[in-house]
Parts: sequence; structure tokens; C-alpha cells
Amino acid sequence: MHRIVFLAQAAPEGRVFGLDFQTLIHIGIQLFNGIILAVALSFILYKPVKEFMRKRTDRIQSKIDEADATMAKANELIAEYEKKLKNIDKERAEILEAARLKVADESKNILEEARREALEIKKRSMDSVAEEKERLKEETRLYIIELASLIAEKYIKQSIDAEIQDKLFEEALAQLEDTQWQN
Amino acid sequence: MLNIKNLWVLNIAGVEVWITETIFNTWLIMLFLIIFAVIARIKLHNFKTVPTGFQNFIEAVVEAFDGFASNALGEKLSYIAPWFFMVFALILSCSLFSIFGVRAPTADFATTFALAFATFILMFFMGFKHRRGSYLKSFFEPHPVFFPLNLIGELSKPVSLSFRLFGNMLSGTIILTLYYGLTPLFVQIGIPALLHAFFDVLFGALQTYIFVIISLMYIKGAAD
Repeated sequence: MHRIVFLAQAAPEGRVFGLDFQTLIHIGIQLFNGIILAVALSFILYKPVKEFMRKRTDRIQSKIDEADATMAKANELIAEYEKKLKNIDKERAEILEAARLKVADESKNILEEARREALEIKKRSMDSVAEEKERLKEETRLYIIELASLIAEKYIKQSIDAEIQDKLFEEALAQLEDTQWQN
Repeated sequence: MLNIKNLWVLNIAGVEVWITETIFNTWLIMLFLIIFAVIARIKLHNFKTVPTGFQNFIEAVVEAFDGFASNALGEKLSYIAPWFFMVFALILSCSLFSIFGVRAPTADFATTFALAFATFILMFFMGFKHRRGSYLKSFFEPHPVFFPLNLIGELSKPVSLSFRLFGNMLSGTIILTLYYGLTPLFVQIGIPALLHAFFDVLFGALQTYIFVIISLMYIKGAAD
């Protein structure tokens, strides 16, 4: 049966150093104390604090990784947009070139059309002028005929004397009288 | 005053066990360290991402020791760092407690040999665990005739380790005891503070570092 007895009165004189059975027991006790303290400090302090620091490091690292990933994504987006911008410049140049060509083509067509219309107008004008010329010729001819008739009439008027006039008058009157009688 | 007092004598199943001042002071220091650890553990729940004050101190101590042990042992053996964290905390606390008149447990051969013996056990265990046959073979190198010398060399390690710490701590205790015992009262004000700062704080920290680094080197040497 294990018995623990306190023998305070019987405590022997202290010493500085000794190599005996008591020293061996003390070494054993101190080793046991050390193991208890090591276990206590390890589980209460050392490991939890290390675990806390490890988790914090992981957390910070994950945030750094996240930031790096976001940065990489942003860089990718920048590259993509730069590419797009570069393409936009190219596209703009192409559109401008196409527009320029189209405008040049259009302009050519318009000029062609205008030229054609001008020619047509000119032709029409020429025709109209020719018609007018013909018409004026005809009018001039008729006017000349009329003028000639008038001149001839005037000349004839001046050539016939009073005697001939009377004779003609008489003949005309006779004809008129014959006509009324018949009626 | 120099002697390690026997506070109690226990009779456990017929075996007489002296409970010395060293053992009692070790329990006191253990109690202090465990209470401190419990406080730190409780405060750990409120630890912030950016440390300040007490958290800063705890993190600095743990991180500094972990970095030191990992550098000395390497990643492969870093799992034994908690044991040496205890050794570090205990030896340093023993030295610092002697400022308050508590006889340093490290000024007792039983304490220093217990710690050195643990190093010795770890050294053998790690040697066999990581090197197996080659560790045993190293005792017979460069020639089998050197086996006794190699064995004595290995066995002397815990002895030298324990006596180094014991001698240094005891020397400080002896000097201070002599100073307090032999000088008149009026020179016992102020001046002892410098002696304590030198023998307890400076020597204590230095001997703690030396004990731990040599222990780590022994273990690493055996395991690599």
C-alpha cells in the first residue's frame, strides 16, 4: 500500500551538490516537472499561438494571392482592351477608307450623271433652238409673203387710175344688182 | 544560505523523498508560467490581425523561438521545438526569478541534469529514428576501435551540458550570496541590482541561449 508521510521535522541538512539516490530522485522529479510544463506550454500557449499566426499568414497570403489574381485579371482586361483599341483604330481606318472609296465612287457617279444631264439639256436646247429657228424661218417667210402682198397691193393701187376704178365699180355694182334680183 | 534546503521529506512506499527548495521553486515557476500561458490563451480569442501590446509580446516570443528552433533543427525536426520552448522558458524564468530572491532551480545539478538528460534521450531517439543503422554505425567510425571513445564522447554530452549550466548558475548564486553575506548593509542597496542584472538577467539569458542551442545542435547532429 502506498503511503505518503510528511516528515518535516526530519528534513536533513541542505547541500549544494550531491551524487546519490536522492539526486537521482530529484532528477526524475525535475524531468517529470519538465514534461508536464512542456505539455502545458505546448498545448496552452505555443501551438495555439503558432496556429493563430499560421492561419493569419494563410489568410494574408490568400488575400495577396487574390489581389495578384485580380491584378492578373485586370492586366488581361487591359491587354484585351488595348487590343480592341488597336483593332478599333484599324477598323476605323478601314471604315474611313471604305467611306472615302464610296464617296469617290459616288462623286464619280454624280459627276457622270451631271455630265450626262448637261449633255441632254444641251441636246434638248439645241433641238429647241433648231425648232425655233425653223419656226422663225417660217414666220419670216410668211411675213415676207404678206409684206410682198402688201407691197404688190400698194403698187397695184397706185397703178389703177380713176377710169379703171369706175369701170370696176360699175361691174361690181352690176353684179350686186343681179344678185339682189335673183333673191 | 548557499545550500539547497530540504523543505519536506516524504516517505512514499518506504522510499524517502526530499522535497528541496529547488523542486518547490520549480513548481512556483511552473505555476507562474502555466498561469501566464493560460492568460495568453484566454487573450488569444481577442487577438487581432495587426498585433499590439500583449499580443505583440506573445507573438514575438513564439515567433522568435520558432524561427530560432526551425533554423537550428530544420523543418524535419521542428516538431520537437515545443520541448525546447519549455526548456528556454524554464531556464530563463529560473534566472529571472532569482532577482526576487528565489533560489534558481538551475543552480541545482538535479535540474540541469534532468534537462540535459532529456536532450540526451532526444538525441539518441532522433538519431535512431532518422538515421537508424547509420547512427549506430557512427559509433564505430572511423574504425571500430574508436567505439569506446565515441561512446564516452556521446555520454559526456549531457554531463558537460548539465555541468555548464549548473556551474554558471551556481557561480552567480555563490557570488551574490557572498556579497550579501560579507558586505555591510549600506552597500547592499543599489549595487546588488547591478550584480543581479549581470548574473541573473545577462548570464541567465546567455546560458539559456547556450543550453538550448547546444542541445539543438546535438540533436540535429545525431539526426542528420
